[in-house]
Amino acid sequence: MKMGRRTAAFLAGVLTVSMLLSCSGPGEKRYEASFLELFDTASVVVGYAKSEDDFTKYSQKVYDELKVYNELFDIYNDYDGINNIKTINDNAGIKPVKVDKKIIDLLSFSEEMYEKTDGKVNVAFGAVLSLWHDHREAGLNNPGRATLPDYEELKKQNEHTNIEDMIIDKNASTVYLQDGSMSLDVGAIAKGYAVEQVSRFIQKEGMKNGMISVGGNVRTFGEKYDEKGKRVPWTVGIQNPDTSSDRKSLYDLHLSGYSLVTSGVYERYYVVDGKHYHHIIDPETLMPAKYFLSISIVCKDSGMADALSTAVFNMPYEEGSKMVEGLKGVEALWVFPDSTMKYSSGFEKWCGL
Amino acid sequence: MIKKNDLILAGTVLIVALAAVLFITFTKKEGAEVVVTVDGEVYKTMPLDKDATLTLGDKQGNYNVVEVKGGEVTMTEANCRDQICVNHKAIHYNHESIVCLPHKVTVEIRDGEEGDIDIMAN
Repeated sequence: MKMGRRTAAFLAGVLTVSMLLSCSGPGEKRYEASFLELFDTASVVVGYAKSEDDFTKYSQKVYDELKVYNELFDIYNDYDGINNIKTINDNAGIKPVKVDKKIIDLLSFSEEMYEKTDGKVNVAFGAVLSLWHDHREAGLNNPGRATLPDYEELKKQNEHTNIEDMIIDKNASTVYLQDGSMSLDVGAIAKGYAVEQVSRFIQKEGMKNGMISVGGNVRTFGEKYDEKGKRVPWTVGIQNPDTSSDRKSLYDLHLSGYSLVTSGVYERYYVVDGKHYHHIIDPETLMPAKYFLSISIVCKDSGMADALSTAVFNMPYEEGSKMVEGLKGVEALWVFPDSTMKYSSGFEKWCGL
Repeated sequence: MIKKNDLILAGTVLIVALAAVLFITFTKKEGAEVVVTVDGEVYKTMPLDKDATLTLGDKQGNYNVVEVKGGEVTMTEANCRDQICVNHKAIHYNHESIVCLPHKVTVEIRDGEEGDIDIMAN
């Protein structure tokens, strides 16, 4: 007996859609679409719709919206007729840049997160991060000659990371970096923020039950139907930072309307003299943060989950724990370098422990 | 001499056996497939229950080697710079995937056995 499913449809050239008959709700079926072009990572859209055509319309809208955010929040590439974050960086110390409200909102949100996390997630940290980025890229392309950034140079760059030098003029819709040597890097916040905005958008468009993941930054909304057609929350796994382990997921969380974001040492890294150097840089040491293998954050807002996962990664456990317990509706999982784990006081309710 | 009870026993055994066969037939997950895409387009679809090795590209340029073995799929080899796909554990549950971002290659299970999770946060 074939529990059939069809594959079809290419959207925007490169969007694969598939459907699963076995988990259907009343009049709606479950579909999934994925694409690789945005935010330099893999994205997945899962949702229920009346027909494949309906779902394709939704997933196309998700793709198009994410693409808008991707281009606006890009710090490496220029796009015709668009002022993006790279444009702001290119004009540091020169002039204010008029930008889309989406950028103003992202950067205002980033300021809030900077305040909330005592500076442990800082979009004005670009001068330091770009130095690491260049060394990592060179090292990945030529592993035999991989090098670390010079510490003195990192310290020099760190003098140009003051978020107060980012001047946002909401009325004029401009952003000006008044330190000519500074730059913005929204890598710790932009994906989650975009996923949050697009999830809200697609629900308004009519897709009530679904999930959007951009690079494992997961936002759920509504519920799914189990095999008996009963509505249940989505099950989201937390990647085991030990990718060689048979236990792929550390915990399975049951989420409806919540986000789960994990930051870990295992995804973006390069190797220098046999040692791994990952991409989350501690603003205190200017080196890859050493406290944990991974941090997972559960909360409603995916942008907040993204920002907090980086911030908590950059704090000793006690400090992070105090911060998380002080934030309403936020839970966290810490995985220590020896693979032991701790979780916040309300974490258990999400995994039915 | 066949007694009545023997017949009942034989009948019971037969019914149980038949039920078992029916149960296995109807619950067995058939037709699980491995879908390999390159640049977003389906490159090849293979059955999950048949061992096979698929080489994409060639060693002069970019290449990935996909291996189906014992009902599981792995990326056994690739010359991509981050090796994330090669380090990925074997997959076999429905919707599980291995992605090689540098080479724009994905390997995904379709129509497979349902796992516990809908998606992984990573």
